[in-house]
Amino acid sequence: MSDLLLKVAGLNKSFFGVQVLRDVGLELRRGTVLGLVGENGSGKSTTMNILGGVLTKDSGRVELAGEEVQPASSRDALALGIAFIHQELSLFPNLSVEENIFLDHFPKRGAGIPFIDRRRLRDQASKALELVDLKVSPTTPVMRLPQGERQLIEIAKALTRQARLIIFDEPTTSLTARETERLFEIIGRLRAQGISVIYISHILQDVMRLSDDIAVLRDGEVVGAGRREDFTVERLVTLMVGRSIDRLFPEREPSQGPGGAALSVRGLSQPGVVKDVSFELRRGEVLGVSGLMGSGRSELARILFGLDPYSEGEVRVAGERLPPLKPRLAMDRGLAFLTEDRRGEGLMMEASIADNIVLPSLVERSRGFIGWLDPTGLEEAARDMAERVRVNARAIDTAAARTLSGGNQQKVVIAKWLLRAPSIFILDEPTRGIDVGAKYEVYKIINTMVAGGAAILFISSEIEELIGMADRIMVMGRGEIRGFFERASFDRETLMSAALWQ
Amino acid sequence: MTITRREFSASVLAAAAAGTMPGAARAAEGGKTIALMFDAFDSDFWITGNTILKAKAKENGWTTLETISNRDQNKQNDQVKAMVERKVDGIIFIPTDNNAAIPAIRTANAANIPIIFFNRPPAPNDNKYVAIQADNRKIMQTTVTILVDLARKQGGKYKACLLMGDLGDNNAVQRRDGALDILDKNKDLVEVVSRVATEWNADKTFAGLTNAIQANPDINMLISPSDSEDTIIEQVLKTAGKWHKTGEDGHVMFAGFDGDQNGYRLLSTKYMDVNGVQNLFYEVDLAYGAFKDIWAGKQPDKMLIDPGFAISQATLESKRDDMWGYHVWKEKNK
Amino acid sequence: MGGVLPASSGGALSRPMRLVRLVLFSDYLVLALTVLYVAALWFAVPEIISPTNLNDIFLQVLPLFVAAMGLMMVLLVAQIDLSATSIMAMSCVVGASIMTSQGGYLAGHALAPVAAVLAIVAIGLLIGVLNGVCTIVFDIPSFLVTLVTMMFFSGAAIWYTAAHTNSGSSIGALPSSFLAIGYGGIAGIPYAALITVGLAIIVHLMLTRTVFGRWVRAVGLNPSAAAISGVPVKRVVIGCFALSGLFAAFAAVIYTARLEAGTPILGQRILLDVIGAAVIGGVSLFGGKGSVIGVLIGVLFLSAVDNGLQLLGLSLSSVYAIKGGVILLAAVVDAIRHHLLARG
Repeated sequence: MSDLLLKVAGLNKSFFGVQVLRDVGLELRRGTVLGLVGENGSGKSTTMNILGGVLTKDSGRVELAGEEVQPASSRDALALGIAFIHQELSLFPNLSVEENIFLDHFPKRGAGIPFIDRRRLRDQASKALELVDLKVSPTTPVMRLPQGERQLIEIAKALTRQARLIIFDEPTTSLTARETERLFEIIGRLRAQGISVIYISHILQDVMRLSDDIAVLRDGEVVGAGRREDFTVERLVTLMVGRSIDRLFPEREPSQGPGGAALSVRGLSQPGVVKDVSFELRRGEVLGVSGLMGSGRSELARILFGLDPYSEGEVRVAGERLPPLKPRLAMDRGLAFLTEDRRGEGLMMEASIADNIVLPSLVERSRGFIGWLDPTGLEEAARDMAERVRVNARAIDTAAARTLSGGNQQKVVIAKWLLRAPSIFILDEPTRGIDVGAKYEVYKIINTMVAGGAAILFISSEIEELIGMADRIMVMGRGEIRGFFERASFDRETLMSAALWQ
Repeated sequence: MTITRREFSASVLAAAAAGTMPGAARAAEGGKTIALMFDAFDSDFWITGNTILKAKAKENGWTTLETISNRDQNKQNDQVKAMVERKVDGIIFIPTDNNAAIPAIRTANAANIPIIFFNRPPAPNDNKYVAIQADNRKIMQTTVTILVDLARKQGGKYKACLLMGDLGDNNAVQRRDGALDILDKNKDLVEVVSRVATEWNADKTFAGLTNAIQANPDINMLISPSDSEDTIIEQVLKTAGKWHKTGEDGHVMFAGFDGDQNGYRLLSTKYMDVNGVQNLFYEVDLAYGAFKDIWAGKQPDKMLIDPGFAISQATLESKRDDMWGYHVWKEKNK
Repeated sequence: MGGVLPASSGGALSRPMRLVRLVLFSDYLVLALTVLYVAALWFAVPEIISPTNLNDIFLQVLPLFVAAMGLMMVLLVAQIDLSATSIMAMSCVVGASIMTSQGGYLAGHALAPVAAVLAIVAIGLLIGVLNGVCTIVFDIPSFLVTLVTMMFFSGAAIWYTAAHTNSGSSIGALPSSFLAIGYGGIAGIPYAALITVGLAIIVHLMLTRTVFGRWVRAVGLNPSAAAISGVPVKRVVIGCFALSGLFAAFAAVIYTARLEAGTPILGQRILLDVIGAAVIGGVSLFGGKGSVIGVLIGVLFLSAVDNGLQLLGLSLSSVYAIKGGVILLAAVVDAIRHHLLARG
């Protein structure tokens, strides 16, 4: 029996005449982790969907343990021992943990008897939960669990089906740092048990840390594959984007001395959300905000933009006090807010790119009491802005935002605010879930804005990003400010420990 | 009779859609076409009326087109326009609203098509139309006269309960007045001890009659303005121990109205003594006669009255063929 | 860069398939179905395409179109207004009670019709605002709020009529200057048509060329994103309810002038026609999608179906079966088209 669990060779796939996979080949050894990286649209998901039985291949060969397989559905794939843990989890929030784990293979009281053996269900569920080190009762409804634990339940589900290969697609996007750590530990354990893992992620540091082997996809082709030791983060990036990016972050002139205060916050408090937050954001400055999920960083942003209330303290924009609960007033003072939830709060997914871009600027661009608009003028403005931030789309007036990739969607959100030429831009996780090339472009846009004198509040859970981009970093934890760090003293460990410090 | 393209297509459409083709337009060559325009079929009266209208039209060799407005007067007025477009020779009209039906008359007048209101007259207006209307007061007078005569023959004194329907409704007022016309002349024999406004509502009838009998346990005569309340009356009288056949001890003299199937049933089982009946057959004849007059160039009166008749146990056999409820009853008890 | 899939998805299709796709994906699919239906009926009742009949259909369409435009406004913000027809009933009996020559409050006064129309419009607006405020401020689902206002005002209209008449069924004897809205016209074009076309143009311009129109769509598509983009979401929703009430009142004016009476059962039966016309015309029940042209086509479709069946004069039982069948067919075609669109 060979050491090889999965061998993919010569895989081709096209949609409507467009070839999205060209001669893709992959190898995965038993009990190892294969890191799979590539930009959005590079063919990672298509490849995995073929393995997982969601799509069928046009040509090529997939061998599992030496035998050719052709899963026609995800059920088929599961029967073969291939489990696919999707970005969006497929659990039923209103069902219990055990019901979710055994949803499609409930232990029966006996062959042919359509009654569920509750006791065996509970025993088996408990065992599965032990395997993933999750200490919850099997009867807990899934909706009561945090995202990270839900993911572990997906894994437990896969383990009860005797999975030989588990595919993770961007598993850490919605996890906290601690949950991510736990996930990595579990993956290590799976590997030790001889289970193979394909790990897909945009976070290259994680891929470097976890994988035994790495494969890089670009435009539907494998452009690099080998042992982890043969790669560095820089090399991965170069392979992914097909050009050499010297650094992950574009060069920026350091701010020419502190400008005047654009936004000053004094003693801002709201019970259970933020406590006594005071800081100053200066013109021409990028102030990074770091902190774990639930540290109050996103909540602070919402309060500043007038979306949520606060009980004490004050927010001043250019010296003038900003009343709460009025996004419109905040906008009139030059604020802009890119939310962390692009789909839910950032965009109208079904509306055109142009409609999305002009939405916050309509009032300013209308005439008269009835708010008369000039559609051609609006469309031109939107087109200019879309070109400026390099939105990659065929027709901005007809293409719905839904049809864009994550990176392009984010650029649309940025464009809609840039059209207002904001002087203070609050960015909450602006690069979440977008690929390396798009990230780089977002960074460049930020730099251009700062060079023009705008002030940026940059909230991110990726510390590297803040280190690369910010002039100062403010660390938050439990709704409070834990400290400010100047560029000279940026250091990953210091920042992390400040965030974790209780 | 040859089938024209139109009939063929219409039949196919109807058959395809409904699986049957009950009344697909079957134009008789040279015959007249009339439109039967209903608002809703919520009682046996209208269903029977529709059947008789269609049957008698067929006897005359006429074709019928039908519409139903589902109580939407605006839609019914539009339907009149459609019928005008189909160039019908006459319209039988049962509107929902007496005011809002006036534009429909004007539409028909403009196209010179006779329009006959069947049992629901419009609000008074200057346009050309004919309304067929039962004389409720007269029918009730005849009915109560027979009841009083029977009582006098039987002997004794009578205490009566008068049910009155909804007095916001002209029909109810007419029926009440018809009853009182006769009762007032026979005060020596009958004393009206209780009047109950039932508002055409089963619950109100039940409560009102029950209270009346509790207050006056010796009630032995009952006059009801509608057979739709017969089953409630039966229930209340049974509960009070007063449900007995004619001739039996404790029988309550009972006059009904409408001539529906319950009326016939109670007459034939001898619990009811007399029933006032609208002569639907006669009304249809009146309407169709009016069409023929108008087509012949004579304009009939605006209001054509059906004097109706009263039917008692004695005349049941001889008169029941004119009682529309009998035909319903016969159909259901085949 | 994760690009968009190229649009050339139909590359391998044969020509007839392309034609089918072209018709299916056209915005005017329902219009095509209407034409098809009329053509099919033409064999059975040639009268359907006579000028007078087409004129009849055109006049029938007007008030329904006005009411459906109002409903579209609330559907656009992903709400529903079940009370539209009760607003018609309530406002029309109050209006009629003001101007009727049989004991109206302003009977015989030259300005009575003006006062009546103002009252009708004011009542529509008020009930609309009431719906909006209850939905938004008290956060009750609009389905429930408008169900309650529907029942309340439909009852209130009957009570009001009974209190103002002897017969209790309707208030007639309206002044001829008011009835002119239904019959009169300029250069052969009825006033009702002029009013309707005017309203349609206003709504169309409002939706496409004003800030409010864009806000309405934004709220319907994604209220959270709209709020963050500075859209006063609550005011927009209340505004849409107010417009729905207002348009129901306009429809009531036209209906009342045509019926020559204010009747409390006005429109009681057309709620489904109003909602159906909007939805068949492509207005999404989930918000954000809909246009005046679409609603017009939906209304035309329903009216043509009705008119065709009336012309046939078939036995009553078959009429509902055909009507239901035709509408179901339209819905199925629409569903197939959405399914195909979703697949690209």
